[in-house]
Amino acid sequence: MTHYPKATLESYGYKDYKKTKKFFTVLRKVFVVVIVVSLYIPILMLLLQSVNSSPNINEFGHFTLDWYTNMFDVRSLKNAIINTLLTSVISTLLATVIATFMAVGIYALPKQIRQRVMLLNNIPILNADIVTGISLMLIFSLLLPLFPYIFGPVTLIMAHLFFTIPYVVLSILPKLKEMDTNLMDAALDLGIKPYKALIKVIVPAISAGIFSGMLLALTMSIDDFVISYYTTGNGFDNLSIWIYGSIGRKSLTPSVYAFSTLLTLMTLLSLTLYQVFIKKDKKGKIK
Amino acid sequence: MKKPFSRLSTPYIVWLFILALIPIVVMLFLSVTTTQGLSLDGLTFNSSFYQAFFERSITTAFFNSIYYAILTTVISLLLGYLVAYTVFRSKFKNKFLVLAIFILPMWSNLLLRTESLGNLMNENNLITDILSKLLNTNVSFPVIKGSGLAVVIGLVLTYLPFMILPIYTALEKIDYSLEEAALDLGLTDLQKFMKVVLPLSLKGVATGSILVFLPAMSGFAIPEILGSGNILLIGNIIEQSFRYMDYNLGSLLSIMVLLIIFLGIFVVAKVDKEGEMLL
Repeated sequence: MTHYPKATLESYGYKDYKKTKKFFTVLRKVFVVVIVVSLYIPILMLLLQSVNSSPNINEFGHFTLDWYTNMFDVRSLKNAIINTLLTSVISTLLATVIATFMAVGIYALPKQIRQRVMLLNNIPILNADIVTGISLMLIFSLLLPLFPYIFGPVTLIMAHLFFTIPYVVLSILPKLKEMDTNLMDAALDLGIKPYKALIKVIVPAISAGIFSGMLLALTMSIDDFVISYYTTGNGFDNLSIWIYGSIGRKSLTPSVYAFSTLLTLMTLLSLTLYQVFIKKDKKGKIK
Repeated sequence: MKKPFSRLSTPYIVWLFILALIPIVVMLFLSVTTTQGLSLDGLTFNSSFYQAFFERSITTAFFNSIYYAILTTVISLLLGYLVAYTVFRSKFKNKFLVLAIFILPMWSNLLLRTESLGNLMNENNLITDILSKLLNTNVSFPVIKGSGLAVVIGLVLTYLPFMILPIYTALEKIDYSLEEAALDLGLTDLQKFMKVVLPLSLKGVATGSILVFLPAMSGFAIPEILGSGNILLIGNIIEQSFRYMDYNLGSLLSIMVLLIIFLGIFVVAKVDKEGEMLL
């Protein structure tokens, strides 16, 4: 009896990729860690500068929390912070309310018109900040003969509304799609007027979308520089404009690093809250 | 629920028309005339506005913008896909939190981040100072600030999250049974990725690329801070012309940028009929 060699998987053309696969997986993970670290380098620098006793950004004195305690000592910075918070909060609240109604309205449109409106809705999102800023400035300038003092908080809030509403609309629409249409029909059958049903039935059903849209609007609004730069009046700076001016004059006080670090921590907190909110939302659903 | 609410959207449509379309008309008008700022005194029609394109600084800025934007998009695409795919394949339970790690830096002020990044690109900075004090020697970094590399690093680090999110969303929508079927039919992992996963995620790639390309092309703060004025993009020229009250040139260049943006909007509308993919 002759002994034929036993056939292995390889002789059928099977190739063992396990080792190369493992190698690539590890390599991929290392890469991702490197990317995360480099994304956080600027943030770590901000943190480091905020606890640096020396106002010179090129040398480290000793650890201090002074910049946190005297954050509001520089008057122009204090004003800029107040302006930022005020305009962002007002425009976020307005944008959320307006966008909720608008999203419901857009959703109720016939499909073809809805698609066209969404195209229009995408313009402020995709448009270059500088073009949006200049466009709005031109429009507001055309209004100058009618309202000579229009540039200032009013134009700033209007500009912020212009670029935040589309984002809120976009985050609410999918929730409207997910919504059970029977809910609304049932409410109407029970004799509620449509607009009351809107408040009592639709708004609670899409609240997760409204909330995430609001968060998005707030972050876009609080960090905006270019559009604000063109649409605010003289003497009404928000934080980004103030920072840009200070970088130009090379007079950035470390207090601004302290404020920025605090703001980052606060967004971290609101993110955690948002997570809790999402979980609650999921638990409420019947599956 | 259709009928009663459709009227609600009318004010918004009017508002979008006024604020998005009228300025374009104004800009078109300004771009073919010569005016003093916005006042119409001494208005003349400017037939030689196209001369702007033969001015060296403007064409250079334009090509710079396109070049840096493409470079930024390609690099962010490679890195962003890698990140999105790794997060997608990872075994973490709460993927939202993992993604949040990549979005979080976006929430601190862009200008401050850019400034502190620029600081690191100097020969002597905070880190070299700390290292020098710890090691008792003189440590210094290579100077990158003011070069094209610095601008690209700044742009990629700023806009990478805009690439990660849409790709991740697209990956998440892929039905796992398709991948199983591909493996059952005898494809290797690499073939499965190339023939199944990658084509199905192209929608996210398209959105991400547009979301990175457009702001990278038109921004002016990052090239200004990291390029130390050596590298001018089209946004810088537009900013300068409006600062020096040359509304005509600024409008003309804005119109050029708008044309590219409309091309982007057109692509988005083609890929995504419902218009909800941007988030």
